[in-house]
Amino acid sequence: MSAPSSTRSRSRTGAEIAESVAVHTALLLAVAFALYPVLWVVTLALTSGGLGGQAGSAILPFPTSPSLDNFRIVLGGGGGGSRAWLFWQQVGNSLVVSLATAFVAVAIATPAAYAIARFRFIGSRAGMRTLLATQMFPAVASAVPLYLLLDALHLLDSRAGLVFVYASTAVPFAIFQLRGAFVTIPIDIEEAAMVDGATRTQAFVRVVLPAARPAIAVTALFAFMSAWNEFILAATLLSRETAFTLPVVLQRYVGEHDAAWGPFAAGAIVVSVPVMALFYIAQRQLISGLTAGGVKG
Amino acid sequence: MDDVSLQTESALRVPSSPAHAAGTSTKSAVAASPRQARCVMRGIEKSYGTLPILRGVDLDIPEGSFAVLVGPSGCGKSTLLRVVAGLETADRGSVEIAQRDVTRMPPRDRDVAMVFQSYALYPHLTVRENLAFGLKLRGVAPAEIAKRIAEASSMLGLDGLLGRLPKDMSGGQRQRVAMGRAIVRHANLYLFDEPLSNLDAALRAEVRVEIRRLHDRLDATTLYVTHDQVEAMTLADTLWVMNGGVVEQRGAPLDVYERPRSRFVATFLGSPQMNLVEGVLVRRDGQWLADGGGIVTPIDDERFGGALTEGRAVSIGVRPHDFEVAGTAKAAATLRVEIVEALGFEAFAHGWLRASGPRIIARLEAHHARRARAGEAIALTVDPARVHLFDPSTGLSLDAHASRV
Amino acid sequence: MSARAVLTACALASVLATVTSAHADVAVWHAYRGAEERALVELAGRYEAERGVHVDLLAIPFEAYTSKLAAAVPHAHGPDVFIEAHERLGVYLASGLVAPVGDAFPDVDVTRYDATAVRAVTIDGVRFAVPLANKCLALYVNDALVPESPSSIDALAKRAPTFPPGTYALAYEAQSAYFHAPFLHAFGGAMLTDDGRFAFASAESARSLAFVRDLARSSAVPEEPSGDLVTKLFASGHAAAVISGPWLSSELGEALKYRIEPLPDAGAGGGRMRPFLTVEGAFTTPTGATRDEARAFARWLGGDASAVVRATVGQQVVANVAAWSDPRVAANAHLRAFHEAAANALPMPTSTRMRAAWEPANKAIQKVLRGDAEPADAVLEAQHRFDDATRPPPAPASPTPALLILGALLTALAFFGVKRARAPGFGAELRASVPAYKYVVHAAVAVVALVILPLTAGALTSFFAGPRDAPRYVGVENYVAILTARGGDLLGHGSFYVTLLVTVLWTVTNVTLHVALGLTLGIALSRPLLRLKTVYRVLLIIPWAVPSYVTALAWKGMFHRQFGAINAVLKALGAEPVSWFSHFSTAFAANVATNVWLGFPFMMVVTLGALTSISKEVLEAAEVDGATRFQRFRLVTLPLVMPALLPSVVLGAVWTFNMFNVVYLVSGGEPDGATDILVSEAYRWAFTRDAQYGYAAAYAVLIFGLLALGTRLTGRLTRKDAALA
Repeated sequence: MSAPSSTRSRSRTGAEIAESVAVHTALLLAVAFALYPVLWVVTLALTSGGLGGQAGSAILPFPTSPSLDNFRIVLGGGGGGSRAWLFWQQVGNSLVVSLATAFVAVAIATPAAYAIARFRFIGSRAGMRTLLATQMFPAVASAVPLYLLLDALHLLDSRAGLVFVYASTAVPFAIFQLRGAFVTIPIDIEEAAMVDGATRTQAFVRVVLPAARPAIAVTALFAFMSAWNEFILAATLLSRETAFTLPVVLQRYVGEHDAAWGPFAAGAIVVSVPVMALFYIAQRQLISGLTAGGVKG
Repeated sequence: MDDVSLQTESALRVPSSPAHAAGTSTKSAVAASPRQARCVMRGIEKSYGTLPILRGVDLDIPEGSFAVLVGPSGCGKSTLLRVVAGLETADRGSVEIAQRDVTRMPPRDRDVAMVFQSYALYPHLTVRENLAFGLKLRGVAPAEIAKRIAEASSMLGLDGLLGRLPKDMSGGQRQRVAMGRAIVRHANLYLFDEPLSNLDAALRAEVRVEIRRLHDRLDATTLYVTHDQVEAMTLADTLWVMNGGVVEQRGAPLDVYERPRSRFVATFLGSPQMNLVEGVLVRRDGQWLADGGGIVTPIDDERFGGALTEGRAVSIGVRPHDFEVAGTAKAAATLRVEIVEALGFEAFAHGWLRASGPRIIARLEAHHARRARAGEAIALTVDPARVHLFDPSTGLSLDAHASRV
Repeated sequence: MSARAVLTACALASVLATVTSAHADVAVWHAYRGAEERALVELAGRYEAERGVHVDLLAIPFEAYTSKLAAAVPHAHGPDVFIEAHERLGVYLASGLVAPVGDAFPDVDVTRYDATAVRAVTIDGVRFAVPLANKCLALYVNDALVPESPSSIDALAKRAPTFPPGTYALAYEAQSAYFHAPFLHAFGGAMLTDDGRFAFASAESARSLAFVRDLARSSAVPEEPSGDLVTKLFASGHAAAVISGPWLSSELGEALKYRIEPLPDAGAGGGRMRPFLTVEGAFTTPTGATRDEARAFARWLGGDASAVVRATVGQQVVANVAAWSDPRVAANAHLRAFHEAAANALPMPTSTRMRAAWEPANKAIQKVLRGDAEPADAVLEAQHRFDDATRPPPAPASPTPALLILGALLTALAFFGVKRARAPGFGAELRASVPAYKYVVHAAVAVVALVILPLTAGALTSFFAGPRDAPRYVGVENYVAILTARGGDLLGHGSFYVTLLVTVLWTVTNVTLHVALGLTLGIALSRPLLRLKTVYRVLLIIPWAVPSYVTALAWKGMFHRQFGAINAVLKALGAEPVSWFSHFSTAFAANVATNVWLGFPFMMVVTLGALTSISKEVLEAAEVDGATRFQRFRLVTLPLVMPALLPSVVLGAVWTFNMFNVVYLVSGGEPDGATDILVSEAYRWAFTRDAQYGYAAAYAVLIFGLLALGTRLTGRLTRKDAALA
């Protein structure tokens, strides 16, 4: 390599270092922005009952005397003994409801999204428009009719009813997501499967679905998350403490005049941890799955 | 109801398929693992909305024959292939494979195997699973599956790759897997949809030969779609040239090359393209001459027989390879050279015969090429037997013997 | 009859038996927490032991309590007995959620309870609840800072300079009308007249407002005090006295020495401060009222033995008279103080009008405290707001025009349907569609049943007005009222058009920032050689994972005028602290900051995904062509990524348009409803104003129409309509 080009490459590395510093600085600032409020929640969660002196005007959130009392309160179900068991039952409820929501939403949305992506049929455009339209209608208006409907179906106060309600809101979004994913899957592989001897359904199940796995995983994750964090419908529809989901339990720490912010924050962290774990596990799929979903129309 | 009447109607329109089919299937007894079947299509029509893609195509592939469908993009050749596979349904016409009418059958019941342009490997399955996929679906016994995979993989050199996923392989390897997936099927009919177009030139040449060798070994009835004339010429037993949704000419590759039925076929096959100039027929000293665009050449009147009339306007076609540098003989044309592409063993001179005439390409022997310079004029002759004449309005050849469909 | 039939009959009988025995339970709902809940649980246990009747307790989050009752009770899924504050009685009575308690509160029991409590639960001589506990405000005094009882609030405030720096003379939730009420009463004002008219717009209440404004200006009381902050200040000794209710004592540690006193005089011309009295009672639902077990339990719950438990275990200021002669109860100074305070308190009016009175009063108080309005003007504005919210429902309209239009629409629909069906090729198209229908049918049924039907039903309520049990068809009156700003100024506060403008601004700002931030971070994170990429990615996704109702509250805290972290940072940087919720621009900015925080990870992840689909070669080609880094971004990356982002952007815009949580939780519409967006306005009409569901539904339909129009237009403009619809 000639001398001039090597000096040039050296100066480029210099520029690159500067650029890399800039990028890391920007990312660190963004991380600070992302974490700051969360750190407040953590601080609150780690600060036990007596709020002594902590007026909250500190710039850096840090618990002056960290303690796990709030977590003990939350994990103990807000009381001792059998309440602790109750809390784990409620964790179970949340898990069951959220997993079932994810499953039902994906199970209903997947074939529909596939049909919309692959078939030309009367009503497909109208259907997509209607789905988009449902996203535009503020939920304020539909809560009471939904309650009446569940009542008629005898699904009030049941986890199944809650799953139905959650799935109904998750399905339109899931269809958008998955339709996008299916569009990006080359039609060739289905055709190859059909020439190989598969029926359309076999091709769908054995070839398309496995290829769409990342997108399906992400869609399921979103459905899971929406159910996992939902509070107002759960509180309205469920009438047994043993059937409550975690956000309802969490909200119980907030009263009319006073709130137990410590346990509330601790509960928020307990609720968030599984979602964070899922995000961590599924981050690759999250990116590729969302691409496929959001992208090609 | 509708369909039935349509089928009979199209069957009537083509009362008997070309008879030469019977002759080619002599080697069918050997290497019988893939069953062989004749594939016949009659009056296939297909349109997307108002856009017609296929406008009445008849095709007949005898048992064990290698048919190549060739044509420019958009001519309908891939659609036709998909109609055979069952991936598209024809609006009219019928498809028959091994004496079964499969027109309305789904792909899985047609017992055909197909190699896709994109290879269409199942991304989530290993090579072995890809090969086994179709067999499992068809309920082939595991032992038989293993045997066939072993067979195909040694045939194609896939032995080291069986455990890999498609994303971990090169283009050439994937292409071989795609072929292997077809081979293990032992199908009635093998369909290839431009299988080499995603490979680089060297690999393409190599695989081309390999495909032909596989066919000679397996003797499977094959329909191969390509837009590449080299593949078409080298692979085909029978070449079907398609244009605008119809078959323009059919025949053995060399027959088609030498006696193109139309200006389209003439220019489509052969590289560089056949030169075309507009001219008239004249009779001088008892000899028919084609004269126009700077070319004055005698023609083989036997070939054109009754078509020759004094003063008739014609398109005169001469392939670059059919020019000769005029030695002492009288020159048929004089090429004003613009550039010379020297390829070593031969050269192509590009230029004009006349200031306002079309661009002409002539092939030169290597030793002539050394002397050719831009701006120089080269005197050329043409073998009268190699002069093609076309009707300027219909584009059809005046050659009475040019193969007809 | 076969043996099988007998078996079936037996099984049926046993099922019936379990049903009946289950019915012998008494279902009780409450929103109690902590000690009060413990007392209730203990009492339920005792009751079961004594009477053999199981009491099925259900603790419901306070926020969902009313809506859950409203949803469940009319359909007989509610409790038999529920514990609630008496002031909601009017609303519950109007919606048919309560029935007279009958023999749970017989005439002989009248002397059993405080007279005020009895009055509070009685309407027109009919008793609707068994009084359980009194809740009212009192003065918590820090013994160390104020050894002797202050003669008046004014006197206490004047002592402020003698306290250590950073210590306030008095802290209370000054922005809330409930906490302001004692001052209001001290100056002779009132919230409602006895016959339910708005009484807040008076010279007396203007005087009370001027008084508290002067308190705030003299720095004797802290600014923007939330309940949480009041607790913190008092607990840490930074407030000499606070006005709060019985709930505060449970939050205070042992270390702090304090006492509780009834509220003193206001001073400076104001008389005795009389807080509102809330009487918590055991109400019976219409089903519960018919059940002997339910009424028996309610009566028992109010009884002497129960009251002692509620006072000793639950620390309740019980309404039962006899309990106060129990030595354990009498010995509790805190309880006694509240008992005393309650005697001086004014029972909160039960009129349904009360619900509509709070918001105007709150807004007036906040405006005055911020110095945005003179007290006299503020109370007049409150009157206007109140009239606006409680204007009489529109006259019933004849349904004929609607039916005619409906008929015409159906005919047109049928006509076009038939026309379409007869169009050439329709049959073939339909046949070709059949395989697809097999895949979509479940989704179609699910979406129609669970999404479209409820939404349609919801939309239809926009043509109705009046109470929920007797809605009246009013035609398009609700829409007319919204679109004409209820006869007020079309560009005035709370008008549809102004709110729409704010909503559009809100949506555009948020989506722009979401995309800008998401895109920048996505591009930064997609640098091939970036170190710690995974760590960054995971940390940046976190805002997405934490429930938004928690983090929105954290953000609200950070924006606090005096104690928020953001102002702390500003102060550290030498800047003036900002009163975030006093001005539209800053309050809006606070909302935007929160929502951007919540929404950028989604856009970032979408960008990351979209970027993976751009080939490196294209960028290299641009680099070879001489494009600078920025040019490459602007001319190559951006145009290639945008189409991929577009569906997410459109969906994001739709969600942002309807992002209720953030606006409601962070600014709460402050200042003066200016930062409210259409959906939070709709929510207020449905839940905090006069329960005007029809009116709220009309808002929802208008929002839907606007969004549908908006997305159509963007679709047209960007020619990407097909991507979403």
